[in-house]
Amino acid sequence: MENSDVNRRSSSSSDSTTKPVLKKNSSLQNIPLPKYLWIRLALFEKQLAKIIDYLVSNASKYYDKDALVADPDYGNILSSLLVGPCALDYTRTKTSDHFWTDPPADELIQRHRISSVQIMPSSIRRPIPNFKRSLNTSSEDCSSRISSQYIAKDYVESLHQNSRATLLFGKNNVLVLPNKSDCVEPIPGYLSLHQSPNCLIIKWTPNQLMNGFNDDTSDKSKYWDYALQIRVDEIVYVHCHQDNETGGTVILVGQDGVQRPPIHFPRGGHTLAFLSCLETGLLPHGRLDPPLWSQRSGTAKSNKRRRPLPVLQENEDAPKDYVFRIIDNSNHKDILKKHELMDTKTTFPPKVRVQLGSSSTSSDSSTKSFSLDQNAPESPSSVCLQAVCESMKRQIISRAFYGWLAYCRHLSTVRTHLSGLVNNKIVSEKDAEAGISVQKWSELCINGVVNDPIEVYKLTYFGGIAHELRRDVWPYLLGHYKFGTTKEEREELSEQTKQAYENTMSEWLAVEAIVRQRDKESQANAIAKLSSGSASQEAAPEQIGRELSNDVFEDSDSDDEEKIKDEVPEKRTRQNTIKYEDTDDELDQSNPTTESDDRRPSVIHNDIRNISLDSSETQTIISKRLSEENVEREEQDGNHETDEEVINKGANGDTVGNNDEDGNGNKREYTERTEDGGEDHEVTDETRNDGEELKDFIHNVIVTNPSVDISNAQIEKGLQKYMNSLDEEVCGTLVSQDCIDSHGLASPSCLSPASSNGGVYTPELLETFGLNLHRIDKDVQRCDRNYWYFTVTNLEKLRNVMCTYVWEHLDVGYMQGMCDLVAPLLVVFDDESLTYACFCHLMERMVENFPNGNAMDCHFANMRSLIQILDSEMYELMHSHGDYTHFYFCYRWFLLDFKRELLYDDVFAFWETIWAAQHVASTHFVLFLALALLETYRDIILSNSMDFTDIIKFFNEMAERHNAQAILKLARELVLQLQLLIENNCSGIKYVMQN
Amino acid sequence: MATRKKVLLKVIILGESGVGKTSLMNQYVNRKFSNQYKATIGADFLTKEVQVDDRIVTMQIWDTAGQERFQSLGVAFYRGADCCVLVFDVTAPNTFKSLDSWRDEFLVQAAPQDPENFPFVVLGNKVDLEPRAISTKRAQQWCQSKNNIPYFETSAKEALNVEQAFQSIARNALSQQNHTVDLYSELPEPISLTKTAPRNNGDSCAC
Repeated sequence: MENSDVNRRSSSSSDSTTKPVLKKNSSLQNIPLPKYLWIRLALFEKQLAKIIDYLVSNASKYYDKDALVADPDYGNILSSLLVGPCALDYTRTKTSDHFWTDPPADELIQRHRISSVQIMPSSIRRPIPNFKRSLNTSSEDCSSRISSQYIAKDYVESLHQNSRATLLFGKNNVLVLPNKSDCVEPIPGYLSLHQSPNCLIIKWTPNQLMNGFNDDTSDKSKYWDYALQIRVDEIVYVHCHQDNETGGTVILVGQDGVQRPPIHFPRGGHTLAFLSCLETGLLPHGRLDPPLWSQRSGTAKSNKRRRPLPVLQENEDAPKDYVFRIIDNSNHKDILKKHELMDTKTTFPPKVRVQLGSSSTSSDSSTKSFSLDQNAPESPSSVCLQAVCESMKRQIISRAFYGWLAYCRHLSTVRTHLSGLVNNKIVSEKDAEAGISVQKWSELCINGVVNDPIEVYKLTYFGGIAHELRRDVWPYLLGHYKFGTTKEEREELSEQTKQAYENTMSEWLAVEAIVRQRDKESQANAIAKLSSGSASQEAAPEQIGRELSNDVFEDSDSDDEEKIKDEVPEKRTRQNTIKYEDTDDELDQSNPTTESDDRRPSVIHNDIRNISLDSSETQTIISKRLSEENVEREEQDGNHETDEEVINKGANGDTVGNNDEDGNGNKREYTERTEDGGEDHEVTDETRNDGEELKDFIHNVIVTNPSVDISNAQIEKGLQKYMNSLDEEVCGTLVSQDCIDSHGLASPSCLSPASSNGGVYTPELLETFGLNLHRIDKDVQRCDRNYWYFTVTNLEKLRNVMCTYVWEHLDVGYMQGMCDLVAPLLVVFDDESLTYACFCHLMERMVENFPNGNAMDCHFANMRSLIQILDSEMYELMHSHGDYTHFYFCYRWFLLDFKRELLYDDVFAFWETIWAAQHVASTHFVLFLALALLETYRDIILSNSMDFTDIIKFFNEMAERHNAQAILKLARELVLQLQLLIENNCSGIKYVMQN
Repeated sequence: MATRKKVLLKVIILGESGVGKTSLMNQYVNRKFSNQYKATIGADFLTKEVQVDDRIVTMQIWDTAGQERFQSLGVAFYRGADCCVLVFDVTAPNTFKSLDSWRDEFLVQAAPQDPENFPFVVLGNKVDLEPRAISTKRAQQWCQSKNNIPYFETSAKEALNVEQAFQSIARNALSQQNHTVDLYSELPEPISLTKTAPRNNGDSCAC
């Protein structure tokens, strides 16, 4: 049984507290098929302790008598030990097989914080530009490797031949004097040479640590410090010292010149055996230089018999020293390649060529510079050491040289690909960090005229704008206001903008009314079709449902009309400042009447209608008033008509069947309506701002077209418009008989003027605009609902701006994301026409990002080049995942100028910096922001080797949680870095040549 | 077993804007409903472990932007999909009508091995809302006409049927994987056809 097997195994191998679980997990990770998945699952679900507890209490069923779980004491201990691990949260473990959910962004950052505490902060470690990656010094990590927490048994097992590494050489009782102060004489140990897929490793383990060593009394821990583990690829020289009495000594010297503890071989040709194994192991990518096995001249050619170098024959008399160099062919090839590239380079400075000539004159001879001591065998050891020093010196110089060379090539790439991304002129940050404060602005804005655009851009770029000033400064940045204009000129511009905006709005509002009507008709048709098509028993209820639905719409109608009513009196006050207060009085009076008087239901009815729904029916009359100017009479007329309608209403209500008898029914209606009235008032209050805007616009329209029809039509449109934007909730609360009734009355009056205009527009246009409206509505409703600014009223403004833009740019049409671009502007300006004008300016740049534009592909391509130049490590990672190069994780960033990635305050800061950057540093500042975002998390991305999807997920989760100021700062630094790279291109070469 | 190698199921959710794709995904993965979702821009995905029969698989559920203009982006995300979920809003007839084009577009862009049998699942969302514009019968008829696509009526808000629907999605996606593994194993052969020409030459020369 699987359970028992696992438990027995794990429990028997451990007596420490958490080991059973840990061990299981670690062993599981090596198994491609999760055989013991249930343990992980149980642990993740925090049920493992309970399961084990159950197993323990029922051990007789599942386990042998001698099993640990079956033991009354140990079993219980085991299950109680697991309580602790089960209390932890394991749900986020990453395995290569995607078997477990990838850790969320949060946890990745947490982990990163933990793991990077001892290291430097990520910003410092950022290797930009990263052209010296190939230099890796190694002595520290080599020595630290062995001290890592190896379990003794595993370690010793690793010395044997196993699946991961081939054992090439093994010899016991090899003496080594460890580089430790407490060890005075060489101690014997086991020397082994392992070939693992990526490198050769020489290990030496003191005998005390080997299996079968019987001295249990002593503490073994210090021997762990003595053990050696040396990667051969870190070794450059192998020094051999022959001694007839003791055998041979091998000293390994690393790239850094540090020598490893000498290894003393016992007599018997072991040195030679070791070296030959080493040489075999180095193949095919490396070799010993000079070769251990030399070809004897003459005879060797004929019989191809190879003999070891005579020096290593132990039977020779005098002690001999010999130095081998380990040559890595793969490195060698790289160097050759670089040489070729270097030679073809036309801009190659002659001076360097001379310098190079001293060490190596051609690509061929460069290899010699790396293996200078091939003549060393003949020389005494002191010369040998000198040669080593010499060669190291040269190596350092040549490495520096190649580094520089790579840098030059890198710079030429920069020049060709990236010089267009930044401005050539570097603007100094001096005195600009504070940004535009109120005081600064008052200095800049002399008598309402701003004459120094450069200063404004500079200050904005480096320090941002104080929030209260954004409303004034943003139009400049976006190009709506021109620098140098006077206050009066700007006001005139605003007035014009407003006028134009309102004209446009009246156009599309008219079209919208038609579209709504068409929609309604087609929907009715569709539903009729549906209900007729559906099964007969379904038909009846559906019919009712449909009616209700239409009524839901219509009841919003009545609300609109309510609003219009509010506006209309105000309008009146403008034209002949008489009657508004009267109406108010009437409303005030109506309240007490309704509350006190039950006996006159019809009157109550009437009054309540004044509060809540009255205006819906009277609106047509109100518009008549406008033309006739006879307010008093109209008022009466209106009331009269309303009365009639109320009667109609009552009748309708009865037909629907919710009201029983006159008295009771009316009473109930009354209560319903007072509630509704309350609702309506709330709505009206909320929408008052909007109402004012609309009022203004209606006013305008009326001024230009004082005819009854037009004003009537305008009102209708206003109604329609409002109806659509109404919040669902309001609709929901208003589903009542009143609404149903009002539907029948309001609808025909809506219909006529709108449809009479309908002939002007082609069906295609109506269709297109209708589709756009539909989409706008969907997205406006969903736009930043959680942000305080976006109340129903302000969402309505957003919608107006959006619709106006789409109406003016029907060829572009509405595309998802546009709302997100309008929203921050509206929040700052809180003015529809100004927002609209600035949005148009903004869209000049942004529209290219949307589908059909080609800016997005350019962005991706530029990002690719930038990363390639500025962070090669990241680039390699991205390159290794094929999909990665698409950079789709940046899509939203570029489409919305990071609007979705940040909180509102940060969006403001980002946006103004982007706008200002065009004039100060870069027309593609978004790229540097994107790069800064990537770089901020580069260590996390690299250490988790995230692929395309991981990054998308990571950044989606990190949205609105970035440190915007830090990212802005980094982005500015990156721009500067690139500017310097380009600027210093030539001077950089000179600099290197001088040194 | 070859089919055991890949345990990641890639599921793409498609449908008109505002039908509730994001809500469905979040309801299923996080068991939460929010009315605060914004219009999806670009793409996002969530993962969830699901048990299908005796196997535990990871579903990677991709949520996409609803406006058809953004479909051109899709190709990067659609690639390697194991199942495609088509969502419509039962109260909005247009969202149902557009299913055809979503399905076709997906097949064009994702270019699955066997378009005829590629697993789709149709979800009629928002059944908690009145009035219904698309009857169950009508939706089922459409699904039947498209090679018997499984159809579920869901409500992301009320968490109605969401679990069942995604269970079925996982099952279908898994079947697709098992299926495609077989297909992929046949893939090398077309490549070998091009090799035959030089080999023939070799035959004539050698020996």
